[in-house]
Parts: sequence; structure tokens; C-alpha cells
Amino acid sequence: MQTARQALIYTVMLLLGWKALVWFFQIPHFILPSPERVLMTLVTRSEQLIHHGSTTFAEIIAGLILGAVLGFLTACVLSLSSRLQRAAMPLLVISQALPVFALAPILMLWLGYGFASKLAMTTLIVYFPVTAATLSGFRVCPESWEDTFHTLHARPWPLFWQVRIPMALPHALSGLRIAASVAPIGAVVGEWMGSSSGLGYLMLHANGRGQTDLMFAALVVLCLEAVIVWSVVNRLSHRLDHLNPNVSVT
Amino acid sequence: MLQLNDFDLSYPGYPPLARVNWTVQSGERIALLGRSGVGKSTLLRAIVHAETHPCIQVQSHQVAYLSQQPALLPWRSVLDNVLLGVHLRGERVLPQLTERAQSLLTQVGLTGLGSRPIGTLSGGQKARVALARVLFEEAELVLLDEPFAGLDRSTRIQMADLCAALLSTQTVILVTHDPRDASDWLDQAMVLSETSLHGPYQLQAFDSDRSLIEALEGAL
Repeated sequence: MQTARQALIYTVMLLLGWKALVWFFQIPHFILPSPERVLMTLVTRSEQLIHHGSTTFAEIIAGLILGAVLGFLTACVLSLSSRLQRAAMPLLVISQALPVFALAPILMLWLGYGFASKLAMTTLIVYFPVTAATLSGFRVCPESWEDTFHTLHARPWPLFWQVRIPMALPHALSGLRIAASVAPIGAVVGEWMGSSSGLGYLMLHANGRGQTDLMFAALVVLCLEAVIVWSVVNRLSHRLDHLNPNVSVT
Repeated sequence: MLQLNDFDLSYPGYPPLARVNWTVQSGERIALLGRSGVGKSTLLRAIVHAETHPCIQVQSHQVAYLSQQPALLPWRSVLDNVLLGVHLRGERVLPQLTERAQSLLTQVGLTGLGSRPIGTLSGGQKARVALARVLFEEAELVLLDEPFAGLDRSTRIQMADLCAALLSTQTVILVTHDPRDASDWLDQAMVLSETSLHGPYQLQAFDSDRSLIEALEGAL
């Protein structure tokens, strides 16, 4: 409740600052529209915004789920062999270092202008943070615990399923939380490169017609989607806090 | 029960530590004292992994290890944590095993708490669960690495009393900074310094803090 109130206060302050900027410098609406003009566009063009917004939202959610599943499975496989980890990590880092802008034309060529290429881009952007975070979760087991498991004659598979995976889960969700905040980039970049639907497409369309207020309205919808996705992942992540051996709920 | 022949505690690249020659007879209950950093915990961990050290011989397959941060899975119940060895060996949890675990929980004073999640227990209760697991595994050699370090004085006394009552037949090595944790239930003390392992000493010799300091300084 406290956080929501603070967020509301900051939003109102931002809007007031924005309004004051437009009013003080007399900025024309095609350069920077006033907040009430953007609000009006949000209302009058709501049908269009919902249509394109839902396309982008579907791309974000599908990419987030696919990227999370692939990232988690990759980390599980890599955790089984340090040699495999050493071999695969440079490739994973390269996959992250390549800007998604550079890969977009290739993915368009391979997967077309439809949903698949945007899904691939969002998945790619989500994949690395989840993989890296999950992998670090496989390494958090305290040394003294490993010694205890050794004296209990623990076998590798029961140990993996009953200890390693639950211990890695909160870390995987921390990675997903980071990924959730960047996932919209993958979707929107894909739409910029070529599409017939989505907020990225709508922004380009509005830009070509000088409808700056519609561009800002699309941005507002994108921000809302990003906040919703992040909040859900964040809540889920806190629900798994009890799996962390260092957190007590006493 | 346990024999160390010229076991070197030193780490490559760090100042040299003691080379340890030590024989522990079956049924002996020993406190291992020493300053921080002399390798007490390293020594205990080496015994845990004796199969990788040719100069350490342990004449028992059943070794239990309990540290200051016991391996209690917070997402499992108290009972499941006592039965952790059964779960991690991939064995079936038979009703008689559950019964025995419940009975051990009663012995350590945790009657009726079997279904509680570990995260809801106090530090003292967690130490009791870890002790119940050590008892459940029926180990012949029990290695305790400052298991009471995070507990308040009265809980430490209670834990020492429980250990005295329940670990009466096992061979026990307790690493501790505080001989008072050991004086009521262990037979003798060894003091590890940077150069060697000294002892055995009578635990009554460390009745006061001053006598402990003198013993540690004498050992150096």
C-alpha cells in the first residue's frame, strides 16, 4: 500500500513537471504533447491501443515463458558438468553481447514478419539473465551442507531434484525479474523491423504521420504492460523466498 | 576408530599449519580446541572426506557431521529433515522409519512438531532437529563443528545436556571455542595450534577463561 501510494505521488509529480515544461517553453504538441493531450488520445484511440497492445503483451508473455523455460533447462544441464559450463559460457555471453537490433533482420529472414520472429527476439533477450541467475543458484549450497550430504551418502539424482533445483528456483526468478523488465525491448524491436500489429508498429505508423500524441500513448501502454509483467514476476519471486536457506519466516 | 598419520593442514599459498598425528579410540568423546584459523574445521572436513586423504583412516562407514549451519531444508517439514538421508539416498520411507524419526523428535523435545516447516522453528529447535537426524543415521563417529555457536547460553546448556544423554555410545569429536560447551559431557580435550596437536587434557583444566588462554598460549 505504501509502495502504491509512493508510486502515485511520483507519477503525479512527473506529470506536473511534464506539464510545466510544455507550458513554460511553449513546446509545440508535435514535438512534445501535453499530458492531457496524451490522456485524451488514450481515451479516443483506446480500441486501437488495446488491439496493438494485446499483440505486444502476447509477445512479451510468450517470450518470457519460453525464455524462462529454455534458460532454466540450460542452467540445469550446465550445472551437471563444470567442463560443459566452461565450454558453453562464452557462447552464452556472446548471445547476450550481440545487440538484438543486429539479430533482428536475420530472425525476420528466417522466421518471417509474424509472431514467431518477435517471440524469438523476446525469448533471446530473456534467455541469458535466467540462465546466468539459475546457474548461480546451483552454486549457493553452503560447503557444510555439501559435507552433510556426503556423510548421508546422498545419490546424485535425489540430491539434484530435492535440493539443487529448489535452491536454484529463487535465483531463477530473480533472473526472470530482470528479464521481465527488458522483455518488452525484444518485442518492440521486432515490431519496428517489420510487422502489421503491435505497439512498435503503431509507434512507427504514428511517427510517419506526425501523431506524436499517439506515439506517447503507445509508450504509456507499453510502460503499463512492463509494470504489470514485472509486478507479477516480482510477487512470484517473493513467494519462493522460503526456499532460500538464509531466509527465516519466524 | 580414527587415525591421522602426519596429515598436513596447510593450504598452498598460505602460512603453514600443523601436521597432525592423532589416534581416536572407539567410544572416546573429545573436544577439539584452538584459535580461529588454525584448521579445526578443516581437520573435521578432511575426516568427512577421509576417502580422498590417504593419511586418514576411519574405521566406520557411518560418519555424521553437524555444523553451525546445519543442512536443514527450509522447504521440507521437520520430519522430512530428520529423514533427509533416506530421501537423498533414494530409499523408500517405510512406516517404521517414520515412527523412529518421530520417536527421536520426542527424545530431543520436539514432540508434535514433525509436520512444521523448518523456517518456523527457533535456532535452538533447529539444532535439535539436526541432532535428531544425527541420531537417526546411527553413526558411529559423530563430528560436531561448533553446532551451538549461534545459540544463547541457556540453549547451549540444554543442547549439551541432550548430547550427553543421547550421544553416550558414539565416538564424538566436538570443535568448539568454548570448553564450557564440552565440560559436562566430553571426556578430554585436544588443543590444535599452528604447529601441532597437543593433548589430551582434562576438560576441568579449562574451568576459567584465563586457564583456556594459558593453555592456548602454551600450545603455541
